[in-house]
Amino acid sequence: MNKLITLFLIVGLTGCSLLMPKKAEANTNINGNVESRCTVNTDTVGYYGNPNAYTLTTLPASDGQVPVIRVDTSLANAYKAQIRYPTSFSSSPSLGDTVTWTGTVAYASGSVSGMSAYQAASTTADGGAMRVYNLTLAGTTWFNVTSVATYGGGSNKAFPGGSYSAVVVAECIAQ
Amino acid sequence: MYRSVILLLLLCGSVAAHDMTPTYPKWKMSFIPTAKMTTMKVFNKRADVQWYQIGVFDKEFEPIPFVTRYKILRIKYLSHVKFDIYINDDNVKRAEYVCTTSKLRGNDDFKPIVESRICSRFK
Repeated sequence: MNKLITLFLIVGLTGCSLLMPKKAEANTNINGNVESRCTVNTDTVGYYGNPNAYTLTTLPASDGQVPVIRVDTSLANAYKAQIRYPTSFSSSPSLGDTVTWTGTVAYASGSVSGMSAYQAASTTADGGAMRVYNLTLAGTTWFNVTSVATYGGGSNKAFPGGSYSAVVVAECIAQ
Repeated sequence: MYRSVILLLLLCGSVAAHDMTPTYPKWKMSFIPTAKMTTMKVFNKRADVQWYQIGVFDKEFEPIPFVTRYKILRIKYLSHVKFDIYINDDNVKRAEYVCTTSKLRGNDDFKPIVESRICSRFK
C-alpha cells in the first residue's frame, strides 16, 4: 500500500512540475573578433581665422582652430601614419595670384609615454608637407596640423571674398 | 574693401573615422582561372563621409589594374561593407597595397576637410 502511495506521489509531483510555468531562458551569444587595425579619426575640427586681408591661418591667436587627428592602432609596428597639411584649396573663389602655403604636422600626445619619441623619429616627404610617423607602439596618438595660406606671392594682396576649403590628408599605411 | 573670408576646416565636432581589415590580406584562388581574389572589410565611423574609393597599388603607390563590383563604395555611417577584389595573376606579385580613401564632395554645403586613407599590405 505504501509503495502505491509513493508511486502516486511521484507521478503527481512530476505532473505538477510539468504544468508549472517555466522561466523563459535563452542563451544569446555576443561574439567578437580582435584584429589588428588602424583607425584615422578627426578629434578636433579646424577652421581658418582671417587675421588680415591676405592671410588665412588655423592658429588660435588669429581666431583659427588647429585640427587634431587621432590615430588608433591595435598592433605595434604594423602601421605608419602619414599626415599632410594642405598645399592648395579644394574649393575657393577664382584666384588670379599665387597662394603661399606653410604648415606643420606635429605629435601632440599619446596614450603610451614612449610615443613622445614619434616626432623626433618622424620623416618628411612631399617637399615637407607630409610627415611620416612609424607607429611602433600600440595605442592612440594625437597629431596637430597647422596651416597658413598667404595670398599675393609676397606682395600681400587681399583674398577675394568667399568661401574657401582645403584638405588635410591623414593616412594609415600597413608596414 | 576688407571682406570677410571664412574657411571652415570642419563644420561640426563629431569624431570621424574609418578603418579597414585585415591589415595583411592574402590572395586566394578565385572562380576565374587567371585571377586571384581577396576580401576586405571597411567600417565607416565618419558621419561626414559616405563614399570611399578602393585602390590597389604597387610599392611605389602606382595604381595596379583590378576588378571589384564598385570602385567607389557607399558606406553609411556606422555600417560596414565587405568587398572582393580580383587581380590578374600577372599582377599579384606587384600588388603591395589595397587602400580605401574617403571621397569628399565639393558641391555639399558641408565640406569635410580631412581625407582619410587606410592601406592594408599584401605580404
